[in-house]
Amino acid sequence: MEQILFQHNKPGRCVTFAEYQTEGGFTALKKALAAMTPDEVQQVVIDSGLRGRGGAGFPTGKKWSFVPRNLPGPRWLICNCDEMEPGTYKDRILLEANPYSLIEGITLACYAIGVRHAFIFIRRGYEQAAANLQRAISEAAAAGLLGENILGSGFDCAIDVHVSAGRYICGEETALMNALEGKRANPRAKPPFPAIKGLWGGPTVVNNVESLANIPYIIANGPAWFKATAATPEAAGMKLFCISGHVTHPACFELPLGMKLGDIIGGPCGGMRPGSSFKACLPGGASTPYFTADHWNIPMDFDPVAKAGSRLGTGGIVVFDHKTCMVAATLNLVRFYARESCGWCTPCREGLPFVVNLLETIESGQGSDEHIEILREHIKYLNYAFCALAPGAMGPVDGLLRHFEDEIREHNRNGKCPCRS
Amino acid sequence: MIPETMRQELQDRISSAITNREAAVDVMKALQTHYGWLTDEAVVEAAGLLGLSPLQVEELATFYEMIYRRPVGRYVIHVCDSISCWSMGGESLLRQIAGLLKVTVGATTPDGLFTLLPCCCLGNCGQAPAMMIGNSIYGGVTSLEKATDILHQHRRNT
Amino acid sequence: MPKLIIDDITVEVAEGTTLLEAAQSVDIPIPHFCWHPALGRAGACRVCAVKLLDGPVKGIQMSCMLPAQEGMVVSTTDPEAVAMRRHVIEWLMINHPHDCPVCDEGGECQLQDYTIAGGHGIRRYSGKKRTHVNQYLGPYIEHEMNRCIQCYRCVRYYQEYAGGTDFGVMGSAGRVYFGRFQEGQLESPFSGNLVDICPTGVFTDKTARFRARYWDYDMAPSVCPGCSLGCNTTPVARYRELLKTVARRNDAVNGWFICDRGRFANSAVNAPLRPRHAVVDSRESCVEDALDTLLLRIHALGELHGPGSIAVVGSSRMAQEAAELLPQLALRIAAGALCYRTTRKESTETSSFVELVHTGSSASQQDVRKSDCIVVYGCDPLNEAPMMAMAIRQAWRSGATVYVIEHKITLPCEFTLRATLDDVPLAEAERPVIICNLSAETDQLDKLLEGHSRLKIAPLFPAANSFGTALLMREHGAISLEEALADGEIKGIISIEADIPAALLGKIPFVAALDWQATATVQAAQIVIPTTAWVEMNGSYINYEGRAQHFSKVMNPGVPVKGLDPAGHPPHIHRSTATGGEALPARQLLARLIKLLDDGNRGLS
Repeated sequence: MEQILFQHNKPGRCVTFAEYQTEGGFTALKKALAAMTPDEVQQVVIDSGLRGRGGAGFPTGKKWSFVPRNLPGPRWLICNCDEMEPGTYKDRILLEANPYSLIEGITLACYAIGVRHAFIFIRRGYEQAAANLQRAISEAAAAGLLGENILGSGFDCAIDVHVSAGRYICGEETALMNALEGKRANPRAKPPFPAIKGLWGGPTVVNNVESLANIPYIIANGPAWFKATAATPEAAGMKLFCISGHVTHPACFELPLGMKLGDIIGGPCGGMRPGSSFKACLPGGASTPYFTADHWNIPMDFDPVAKAGSRLGTGGIVVFDHKTCMVAATLNLVRFYARESCGWCTPCREGLPFVVNLLETIESGQGSDEHIEILREHIKYLNYAFCALAPGAMGPVDGLLRHFEDEIREHNRNGKCPCRS
Repeated sequence: MIPETMRQELQDRISSAITNREAAVDVMKALQTHYGWLTDEAVVEAAGLLGLSPLQVEELATFYEMIYRRPVGRYVIHVCDSISCWSMGGESLLRQIAGLLKVTVGATTPDGLFTLLPCCCLGNCGQAPAMMIGNSIYGGVTSLEKATDILHQHRRNT
Repeated sequence: MPKLIIDDITVEVAEGTTLLEAAQSVDIPIPHFCWHPALGRAGACRVCAVKLLDGPVKGIQMSCMLPAQEGMVVSTTDPEAVAMRRHVIEWLMINHPHDCPVCDEGGECQLQDYTIAGGHGIRRYSGKKRTHVNQYLGPYIEHEMNRCIQCYRCVRYYQEYAGGTDFGVMGSAGRVYFGRFQEGQLESPFSGNLVDICPTGVFTDKTARFRARYWDYDMAPSVCPGCSLGCNTTPVARYRELLKTVARRNDAVNGWFICDRGRFANSAVNAPLRPRHAVVDSRESCVEDALDTLLLRIHALGELHGPGSIAVVGSSRMAQEAAELLPQLALRIAAGALCYRTTRKESTETSSFVELVHTGSSASQQDVRKSDCIVVYGCDPLNEAPMMAMAIRQAWRSGATVYVIEHKITLPCEFTLRATLDDVPLAEAERPVIICNLSAETDQLDKLLEGHSRLKIAPLFPAANSFGTALLMREHGAISLEEALADGEIKGIISIEADIPAALLGKIPFVAALDWQATATVQAAQIVIPTTAWVEMNGSYINYEGRAQHFSKVMNPGVPVKGLDPAGHPPHIHRSTATGGEALPARQLLARLIKLLDDGNRGLS
C-alpha cells in the first residue's frame, strides 16, 4: 500500500535529514518558493480536499483562507501537537519516525498564510518527538530551509517548540493559545475566531500535526493525486489510524481514508486477540460515540462516520472485546474528562462529576431506571457547555445509551455488573 | 536558591520569549527539575524571574498535571489510567506497582525514591498498559516481572 | 440598532448589546452569575440560557454571550431553557452547602434566590460535597471557599478590573480555588468590592458578619464622605450601629465599586467617644439649654469685646445645607469673620480651583474612564482619592496613555513619566484629562484649558464638600481662621464640624463646637452640641467636579444597642429619643440658632 507520511520511515529509528532530502524531502518547499504564490499554495491545499486531522475535520485550506490578507501586525501559525485524546498516538509515531515533513509542512503553511513565526505546541511525555523536532529545526535552519530569506526567496520563517506541562484542555485551540501565552489554559469565547483574533490578539491558524505534515506531499504531487490515495471517491488522502485495545496488532497505520472499519481491524490489526470477539470500539478517540459490530462496514471517513452517529475524530480506534463492560469503559472515559475539565464552566466542572457518580452507581449495581433518565438529561444539557470538552465527554455516554441500554438495565436488574464473574 | 548559571539561562529564555509569560512553563519546569518539585521557594523565584507575582505563577503551576506543587520522590511513576490502558489492565498495573512499592497511590516511598501517581493518556496506547518515569515511557507493562524490572533499573541507577 | 423579540416584546437595542442586557432593558430578568456589567461576559456559569426560536441564531444560547441581532426571536420561558437553567443550579448545588441559615450571605444571595426560583429542591446527586480550606485574607474580608460556585467574578474583578496580583484562581476542574498564594491580607486597596460582586457567601464583610439579615438592614442611598470624589454608597445599619458600606452604582461617578478606605470606615460613626449629648462648661446639658447658653455667651462676648469679636467657622466636611446657613448666622451675630477653612493656604487654593472648574471643564470619573490620554499632575490618586486611580486604570485598559508628571507615585496601571505638562502630546488626544490636586498652578492649567478645547480637568480636593464650601467662600468673601485670628480681635468662635489645629485653638478664649466627632475642638470647647453624622441625616455634598449629590438618612442617631450597658437595656426611663440620640443635623441646629436670634431679637446687629 502506498504510504505518504510513513514513506520515509526507517525501522527502529528516526529518518535523518540527509535521507529525507535524498528521498525528495523539501522539494515541495523549493517548488513553492520558486514558482508558486502564497495564494496558489493555499488553492492547491483547498483543492486537495484535505480535512483537519486533529478531530474536527475542518478543511485545512479553507481555514487558512479565513485569515485576513492585509491586516497589519504579526500573525501566527500554531501546530497542535498536544495529542492527549486517549486512544490517540499517531502524531507521536509520526514525529518519532520523521519530524521533517512537519517542519516542511509548517514552512509551506506559513508561506501560504504570510506567517513569519510558528509554534509547535507539543504535549508533555513526547520528549523524543520534541527532541526530533528541535533537531530538525536546527538542521533545516542550517541548510537555509528555515529562518531568514529562505532559499533566497525573501520569505522568513521561524519555528519554536513549546513543550506543555500536561493538560488535556490545552489541545482545544483557544485554550492552547492561552497556554502558549503563559496564561491558564481556559478556552476563549468564539467569536472572535482565531483566524481574526488569536495568539496575542493576532490572526492565528491552528493546524494538527498530521494535517501540516501532509502539505509537502500535496504541493509536490498535486491535489488530484492526494485525493486519489483515499479509499472512496468522497474521501481525500490517507489517514494515520492508531489502534489500541483488544486487537492482535495494535499499532499506528497509514491507511486510505474511507477504508472500512472491519477492514482495518481485520486487516493490518490482525483481527481480534485470540479467544475474543469484537463488541464495540471508539472510532476516533475518547470523545466519540461507540461503534458496534453493526458499523463494521462503515467507511472510516469524516462524513460516513458522522452519518453513522459518531465522529472520525483523531482516528484513534480503541477496540473492546466481548468481555468488556461498556458501563465501566464509559465510566473510565467520563472520569478522564471530569478530571481534565479546566474548571471554567458549570456543566463541565460540575456536570461531569455528576455523570461519573451516575455511572459509578450503575456500574456497582446500585442503579435504577431513574439514573438512566438523568444520564439522558446530561447528554442533552452538557451540550451547552463553554467548549467542546463536555459535549465530547458525553459522546461515549450517548453511544452507551444508544447501543448498550440493555447492558445498563442488566446492571440495574441484577444489582451487579454482568461482565464480572 | 538556583545557581547563577541557571538563572542566566532562564533569563535568556525569558528575554527570547514574545512575552515573559510565554516562558512561564519552561521556567517552572526548569525549577522543578532543579528542586525535584516546584517548591514554594521555587514559585517565588519563578515569579521574580518572570516579573509576575507568586500567585500568578501559582495559578499556572496548579493548572498542569506535570508540575508538582508537593514533594515527590526522585522518580515519579505516572501510570496511565485512560481508556486504552484501562482496557489492557492499567488498573491492575497501578495496583501491582503500589504493592511492589508498598505505598498507596499518590504517596512516596519512605526512601524518597518513588512517587506513584495515576495520569491521563500518555500517547502510548498501542503498547498498553503504559507508564512514565521521568521522561521515559514504558509500554506493554503487562506482567509483574516487567514492572519489577523497571523499578529495579531505577533503584540501581541511584 | 437591531430589533428583536424577547418573550413577545419587541426590543430595539444598540449594536453590540447582549441578549441579557436587551432583556433587562424591558424588565425581563435573566438569571446570571458570571456576567457583570463592569466585568463583561465570561460565559462560565451557563445559567443565563435562553432559547432562540427564530432568526439568525437558533436553539439554546447563553444570553450573556450573544449580541442581539436583527430578527431574533428569544424566549426566556421556553421549557428547554428553563430546564437548562434548572440543571445549572442543580450542578452548582452539588457542592454548595445547604446551610443558608448559618451563612452571612443568606437573604442577599443570588444562588439562594435562583435555587428557589429555579425550583431545585430535591438532591439527585448521591456523592459527597467537595470541601476546601479557607484562607485568612486580613481583617476585612472573610473567606469561605466551600460556598464558591466558580463564577470567576472575583478573579476577573481583582486582577483585570482592579489590577491586583495577589489574589487569583488556582487548580483546575472541580478543584479550582480562589485565593492567595499564601494566607494574608489582600493587597489591593479595592479588595472590599469582592464582597459586593461575589454572588454567594465566599467573600463577606468580616467587620459586619452575622450582625444582621438583609431584610433587617437600615439602608438608604448615600455618598462617601471619605474624599472629594463623592462615590455613591449604600451604608447598612442595624440597631443604631453602622455595620458596613456597600458600593452603589452610579455610572457617571464611581461605576459599580468603591475603595476600601471608603468602605471600611464605620468606626467614626460607631465611636464610643462620640459626643452624644450637649455639654456646657464640662457639664452634661440638653440641646435647648446649650443653645440658650450659647446665645448668652455670644451676647456677653459682644458686650465685652465689641462687635466682630466672634468668628463663625465651618469646614469642608459639612453638608452643603448646613454650610449654606453659616453666612446667615454670621450676619445675625455680626461675626468678625466667616471661615470655611482653617489655614490661609487651604483657603486660597480652593478658591482658585473653584474658578477653574467652574468653567465647565471638569472631568467626571466616567470622563476619566473614557479618556484616551490621562495626565497625573502633582498628585497621588491612589492615596488622595483611590477610586480616581481605579478610573485611570479603566482608561488604560481601554488603551489610554497615562502620563505622570515627574512625581514619585504608584498607579494600578502602566504609565509614562514626563518632565513637564508641556511634554505631553495633549493636542493629539481626543479626550484628554489632567488629574491634579490643589498644589497645581491654576494659571498654567487655565492656559492649557484655553489652548485645548477638548481638555478636561479633575482637581482632587481634600474633602467631601471642599467644592461646595469653596463656592460659599467665594460668594461671601470668607477668609481662613488663620487670617481671622491674625489681628487678635476674635475672642470666640462657633465651630461647626471644623478641625482646628491646636496652635490656633490656643489663641481662642471661647469655643463653641457643633460636631459629631470627638475632635480636639470639641475637647477644647466650653459648649458642645452634638450633630449627626452623614448617615444619620439627609444632605448633600458637592464633589470635586461640582456635582451636587444628595445622601439620605440611613439610621437614627444614638448609642448603638451593642454599646449600651446590658444592665440598662432595655432602657428603664422612657423617652422619645434613644439613648444618646439627641444629636441633630448641623443645619437644624443652625436654623434653630438663627430663629432664636431672630425671635428674641437678641442678635448683636
